[in-house]
Amino acid sequence: MKLLIVDDEVEICDFLKSFFEERDYEVVTANSGEAALEIVKKIRPQVVLLDIKMPGMNGVRVLEEIKQKFPRIKVIMVTAIETRDKIEECLRLGADNYITKPLSLEYLENDVREKIEGLKNTLLS
Amino acid sequence: MNTSGTNGFQNQKALHDAAKIMVRVRNPRRLLRMIVSLIDREIGLTHASFLIYERKKSRYIFVDSRGTHRIPIQLIRLDDTNPLIRWFSQKGPKSFRRDCLTYESLCDWLTRPLAGQNVEPSETLRAQWLDLKDVMRTLRASVCVPGHYKDELLGVVILGEKLNGAPFTPAEISFFQTLASDASMALKTAAFQDDVIKMNRELTEQQKLSEEHIKEIAALRKKEQETYYEIVMSLAQEVYAKDPYTSRHLQGVERLGLMTAEEMGYDLSGRRKDILVASLHLHDVGKIGIPDRILMKPAALTDEEWKVMRLHPEKGAKILSPLSGFQDVAEIVLHHHERFDGTGYPHRKRGEHIPFEARIIAVVDAFHAIVSERCYKKGHPVEKAYRELKRCAGSQFDPGVVEAFIRVHKRLMDENGRAQTMPSVTS
Repeated sequence: MKLLIVDDEVEICDFLKSFFEERDYEVVTANSGEAALEIVKKIRPQVVLLDIKMPGMNGVRVLEEIKQKFPRIKVIMVTAIETRDKIEECLRLGADNYITKPLSLEYLENDVREKIEGLKNTLLS
Repeated sequence: MNTSGTNGFQNQKALHDAAKIMVRVRNPRRLLRMIVSLIDREIGLTHASFLIYERKKSRYIFVDSRGTHRIPIQLIRLDDTNPLIRWFSQKGPKSFRRDCLTYESLCDWLTRPLAGQNVEPSETLRAQWLDLKDVMRTLRASVCVPGHYKDELLGVVILGEKLNGAPFTPAEISFFQTLASDASMALKTAAFQDDVIKMNRELTEQQKLSEEHIKEIAALRKKEQETYYEIVMSLAQEVYAKDPYTSRHLQGVERLGLMTAEEMGYDLSGRRKDILVASLHLHDVGKIGIPDRILMKPAALTDEEWKVMRLHPEKGAKILSPLSGFQDVAEIVLHHHERFDGTGYPHRKRGEHIPFEARIIAVVDAFHAIVSERCYKKGHPVEKAYRELKRCAGSQFDPGVVEAFIRVHKRLMDENGRAQTMPSVTS
């Protein structure tokens, strides 16, 4: 269960990392879009939690890249941006969910678990 | 960082600081941020955070978090269904404190049967504790203190561990509880005031007052009045904490002051009564700013010390005037040490130029001082107090107030069977 957390705020990455690690996930973090793509190529996480607003390459472009090259990787957008346009754009580009901050950790964890279980099922069938 | 005291923490001092913040800051979020930083400053912690209820979205969000392990406040929210929120919102078995939750006690409950009880906790209760433990671990919390207003959970103070690794003392816990409940009250007041202002504005725009709206506004005003009173009393407690002998006569002072005003034909309807009550309780609020060594000195004060002491009316007015709804009270507090003959302080106001309420406070307070047993002199009997008031009528006091006061007091004494020098105090 490999999970990549992408957010330019180190505090947020650290907080979510320890939250998921306590729940037995293998967690890697990245603080920029560029770094995130490098890691995706290297370790192929099952799920990516992706912030949109980041300096440099933003989350929407990262999403686009990931979905083009590795369509099986599940990408959950985790962002403070709540506009309808942005949500629709991300879903069109293949985002698997769109969660707005402040978020409920319970909901987030359930969603991540669902995505991973969904992947397992498709592998088995 | 605090420097005095062996435990590095002065509860009373910190509370006074907090009280000062409460009266000065009108913006509730700013207030909470200042409280969080006060906790962080007073007691070094891995983090101090404040969660508040956002009614529109039925969720709890962080307004602030400080410390080395602070929580990213924009990231998470707690819904109504979160175990921590449910724990503090519901009324459960009496054997568990719901006014505070520590990680330590939670672990205790989970590992051993309840002290002094043969009852095993039910499975649902155990499951609840396990969930709570999980939430607390995620929030890096070792202490959680709820802030209620009536039965509503308005906020939770969430604290990490002390930087020095020591456990929290009961004094510290009770300090957090006071802060949490005071802060909730301040939040509530601010919310009510905003509601009233918003409603008034909407109504003026519409120029149409439906019955429903009027009722709603009346209900809000009533609530606002209650909250106002609670703030007054909570502030008064802070003053009395510095000058404990006074607190026993809290109700007495209020009743005597009100009755004297009434006796003199003063109109006590609506806001006038609130203002008088607040002034009676808060006239010494400026003493929060007077050093204890002067305030508590068992001997006579030196000239220098008197100079400092005489600043308390101005300090009091300064504390109160920024708070909305307290401007009149501030003006009265400023003048409660003026003398009728114009030789008082700070402005040497004379006669009718001194606010009526301030003239009442001067008499009630002086009477109270004479009959009470202060640290530097034995209590005086009531008759002697009457004589003293009459002797100073016209110079120190408004003679009309003195007369009315003595009449009222005698009447009360007769009613109480002369058992007490001040009217009965039940609180």
